[in-house]
Amino acid sequence: MELLLWALSFFIDLALMASTFYQLVILTDLEADYINIYDTASRINRIVIPEFIVQGVLCAVFLITWHWFMFLMTVPLACYHVMLFLKRQHLFDVTEAFRFLSAEKKFRMIKLGFYLAVFAIITFRLALSVFNFLSDAEDAVHLF
Amino acid sequence: MGTENPGRQQFPARPAATPFAAPPQNVMPFSSSGPLVRSESSGFRSTLPAGHQPMMPPSMHMDGSQVSGFRSPPIARFNDPSVPSPPTSSVPATVGPFQRFPTPPFRSTAQVPLSHAPPVGQPLAQPPAPSVSFRTQPQIPLVPMGSPPQSLNSAPPNMNVPYSSPDSTVPAPRPNFQSSFPGHIRLQSNADSQAPPIQSPFSAHQGGYAPAPLPSSSPFLAHPGGYVPPPPVLAPMGLQSRDQMQHFGSGPPIGSIQGLMEDFSSLSIGSVPGSIDPGIDPKALPRPLEGDVEPKLLAEMYPMNCDPRYLRLTTSAIPNSQSLAARWHLPLGAIVCPLAEAPDGDEVPVVNFASTGIIRCRRCRTYVNPFITFTDSGRKWRCSICSLLNDVPGEYFSHLDATGRRLDLDQRPELTKGSVEFVAPTEYMMRPPMPPVYFFLIDVSISAVRSGMIEVVAQTIRSCLDKLPGFPRTQIGFATFDSAIHFYNMKSSLTQPQMMVVSDLDDIFVPLPDDLLVNLSESRNVVETFLDSLPSMFQDNMNVESAFGPALKAAFMVMSQLGGKLLIFQNTLPSLGVGRLKLRVDDLRVYGTDKEHMLRLPEDPFYKQMAAELTKNQISLNAYAFSEKYTDIASLGALAKYTGGQVYYYPSFQSATHGEKLRHELSRDLTRETAWEAVMRIRCGKGVRFTSYHGNFMLRSTDLMALPAVDCDKAYAAQLSLEDTLLTTQTVYFQVALLYTASCGERRIRVHTAAAPVVADLGEMYRQADSGAIVSLLSRLAIEKTLSHKLEDARNSLQLRIVKALKEYRNLYAVQHRLGGRMIYPESLKFLPLYGLAICRSKPLRGGYADAPLDECCSAGYTMMSLPVKKLLKLLYPRLVRLDEYLLKASTQADIKDLEKTLPLAAENLDARGLYLYDDGFRFILWFGRALSPDVAMNLLGADFAAELSKVNLYEHDNEMSRKLMRIIKNFRDSDHSYYQLCHLVRQGEQPRESFLLLSYLLEDQMGGANGYVNWFLQIHRQVQQNA
Repeated sequence: MELLLWALSFFIDLALMASTFYQLVILTDLEADYINIYDTASRINRIVIPEFIVQGVLCAVFLITWHWFMFLMTVPLACYHVMLFLKRQHLFDVTEAFRFLSAEKKFRMIKLGFYLAVFAIITFRLALSVFNFLSDAEDAVHLF
Repeated sequence: MGTENPGRQQFPARPAATPFAAPPQNVMPFSSSGPLVRSESSGFRSTLPAGHQPMMPPSMHMDGSQVSGFRSPPIARFNDPSVPSPPTSSVPATVGPFQRFPTPPFRSTAQVPLSHAPPVGQPLAQPPAPSVSFRTQPQIPLVPMGSPPQSLNSAPPNMNVPYSSPDSTVPAPRPNFQSSFPGHIRLQSNADSQAPPIQSPFSAHQGGYAPAPLPSSSPFLAHPGGYVPPPPVLAPMGLQSRDQMQHFGSGPPIGSIQGLMEDFSSLSIGSVPGSIDPGIDPKALPRPLEGDVEPKLLAEMYPMNCDPRYLRLTTSAIPNSQSLAARWHLPLGAIVCPLAEAPDGDEVPVVNFASTGIIRCRRCRTYVNPFITFTDSGRKWRCSICSLLNDVPGEYFSHLDATGRRLDLDQRPELTKGSVEFVAPTEYMMRPPMPPVYFFLIDVSISAVRSGMIEVVAQTIRSCLDKLPGFPRTQIGFATFDSAIHFYNMKSSLTQPQMMVVSDLDDIFVPLPDDLLVNLSESRNVVETFLDSLPSMFQDNMNVESAFGPALKAAFMVMSQLGGKLLIFQNTLPSLGVGRLKLRVDDLRVYGTDKEHMLRLPEDPFYKQMAAELTKNQISLNAYAFSEKYTDIASLGALAKYTGGQVYYYPSFQSATHGEKLRHELSRDLTRETAWEAVMRIRCGKGVRFTSYHGNFMLRSTDLMALPAVDCDKAYAAQLSLEDTLLTTQTVYFQVALLYTASCGERRIRVHTAAAPVVADLGEMYRQADSGAIVSLLSRLAIEKTLSHKLEDARNSLQLRIVKALKEYRNLYAVQHRLGGRMIYPESLKFLPLYGLAICRSKPLRGGYADAPLDECCSAGYTMMSLPVKKLLKLLYPRLVRLDEYLLKASTQADIKDLEKTLPLAAENLDARGLYLYDDGFRFILWFGRALSPDVAMNLLGADFAAELSKVNLYEHDNEMSRKLMRIIKNFRDSDHSYYQLCHLVRQGEQPRESFLLLSYLLEDQMGGANGYVNWFLQIHRQVQQNA
């Protein structure tokens, strides 16, 4: 059970990291004028909501499985996402893109760092649970 | 030498002279000899630099006192000339050579040529190395020019005056300086003006510290080798007698004080005799009564720069480092008005390179401009911006003459003029150039019908059909909407337009997509029939709904293939379909909270998305709004803002009163020369970068402004920032390039190029500041701030910025001069505090709900974001003139000049016996004093003179006085065609109209919570002095 949870959160977090990194790359490209601003906006805006949902799910999973520490760690970002959504500032604004470009980049940079930290913990817990699982299995073998 | 050769000017004299600095032994022998013949050597030192680079010593001095002045108090303020080190260290490296220059071995040679030097160029005959510095040598004489006795005589009185002035609170000496100041500036501003006679007595006794050249020192430095014409006189060099030199040595104190005093203007605050107020004389406050004055200095320094009407820098002296830029607390940037109307005879020349192709720098893509230099006998040219050597295409080749000028220079406007227009070949087209397209989206709901708007619009469009630009390619189309959308098929084969109604608002489709937008010349008859019948078609319409959003989408679909101009006429709040808006102003509690700014932003993201789509498809939207109720201009205006359009707002429109204004402005909008599907980019030299842009447009990439339509009434602002490294060049070049499709179908590039000197000295930046551009940029920044913060925050940050700037300036001078109770400000920025107040009291920044309806604030905000400098300044500090005297005088046209006497905007200037005209460029207010002779009123208003003036329209009556008044009004209107000034009449004491119309706009008076000018000035002064 534990193993399944950590494996799941491992992949979710990986996906989150990938999406954030992708957005960051697009923004950097925009800055360097490799990509059209309209494409930037449509590409980023397409994945913003899925990302928010997945992040919320991750947070909820931790709550349901009673992992207090992990939940408390992910909940501030989830709240921030909800706040952005309610203020309708979650989407990338085409018209004022360049004014907020650096802020958007910074936000995603921080998010990426955060996901990385979470990722490290999850990987550790995953490894731990794999180890536990394996040693349990061995123990079980020994019992026989 | 370089005087007549524009190209050469860029090769500065200074670097060439540097080799001199290298041999340190040059210095040593000299300083060792110093003590021996102290008087002589010191005298020599002080003059010789003056001789070789007459501007040097003052600048060195200035640098000493300004830059290091406060950091190291014991700076050699009037440094004994024999102690060269302290100032030198604070001076830009390049100055060094000149100071060290006087080496014994050279001295002899130096003096010889000096004394016999013929006016020009002669020094070239001297040993090659010194020749460069010799170029300026002819200017030397200005120092010793004055005959010795004269100088001795004039010295003592001068000494006294400056000494007493800085401290004494008696304002008496001040006028002296102020009055003398402009004169000096003018003289010095021509970098070439040598020793004007007036200065000679001065300079004679002040020697190297002559104050006169001081202001011009840096321009000169920054512009080495530029305009250094032969000096008027040379011979007196021989007069350099030893005692005179000594006199130089002893004289300097006066010189420097004098010089610095001339750098700034000041205003006594505290103990002005005979003043009741807390110590300020309201009459002495600076006021821009002559309107905007463009800075002349830069244009004189670089005569090939484009005209300031196209490009104005906030300061013509670009700082050379980030730290210096940070100390200049005002915005650093430019206001660009690429298509500004040029007076007849000064039009931008059109250049067609045809087969050669447009000549641009390989690397930075800069267009060919007057500042490039040709080398390698004309086969290569060096880019002025990135200094890359480019090949000259064969067809463009021309031989150079002896001075390096191209022989065909007179036939090449692109090499002699700062503004040119290139005809762009097909590489500059993404698609065939579009025809001018006009699409009208007209609200026909009940309120629009009742106000008479439809009728005026239809008539105006019909009358403009002949004048629409781009005949015969012009295309036109119409749609109207209430709760449904009506399209009109205007195919040329029809005799009558066909109307098609689409009422499914959720799933918009366009019937007959090809025939809704038709060629005007082919379908002329149908269009005319339509316009004639439009007002009557809907006169019984009782529909109150407005499906604006869906109609906008439909119009977008019709136009998306071509792009063009979309004019929307909106009379109610959009209430149906996508983009419907709600009445946001109901909730008064929002004002003053953190959510207040949301009211000034578009409510529905639909509007921003739509604006982005419109821009992408080269559609520019102009919004005309008419309602007396809330129509959410904040949302509608966003459409115009991001598409390079404009907002016209006529609150409570009634065709009887506002019809003329709408008619004029709509026809101006339709007929002015327009540039279509344009993009604009500003390039600038290495080390500087444009980082933020402000105005009505959308950025397509970091530095590319997308402008679906541009015209002469639009200006754009950009802010500069410096990169980490020190700027090493002496000049920075700016190039604005606007690529557009002209109405005639030609693709063109309009290029404006300008150069500005780089300086290392903050005082110079202030001296060369352009308050018009600064105010324009500040107002845009302040308005943008209101979109994310409270109004109060926006006002405070503006005030803080002004205070910081003045404080920094004060720090430059106040310490040495003990100017305690005075307000000091640079001459160039004397109106800054006043304009700051005006911005704070302008509609977009003024108080909250009680002051002005939200819609008016928003529309004023959108308008001010695109106004060119001159119009903005007029809006901020309008013109107030007294008319009755002129009207009563029995004379004619000749003395219309009397009316140019503009009055300060204070109620105390309104005489009850007078008739006044207030003109802010958008409206006129005619103020009738209570005690104005009834004859005048009767003559002007006819039978209505006793009626309530809100209901009276001004028109011409059959008498001389009325004709005269109408002539004046027409005259005033002719000075600016971009808006039509409707004349409002108001009588003194007619409340609340008087305060609403006029009194609250007299910005020198205190009004409600807002400061008056005197208070504001004192407040700024106090803040400047705090921990100064």
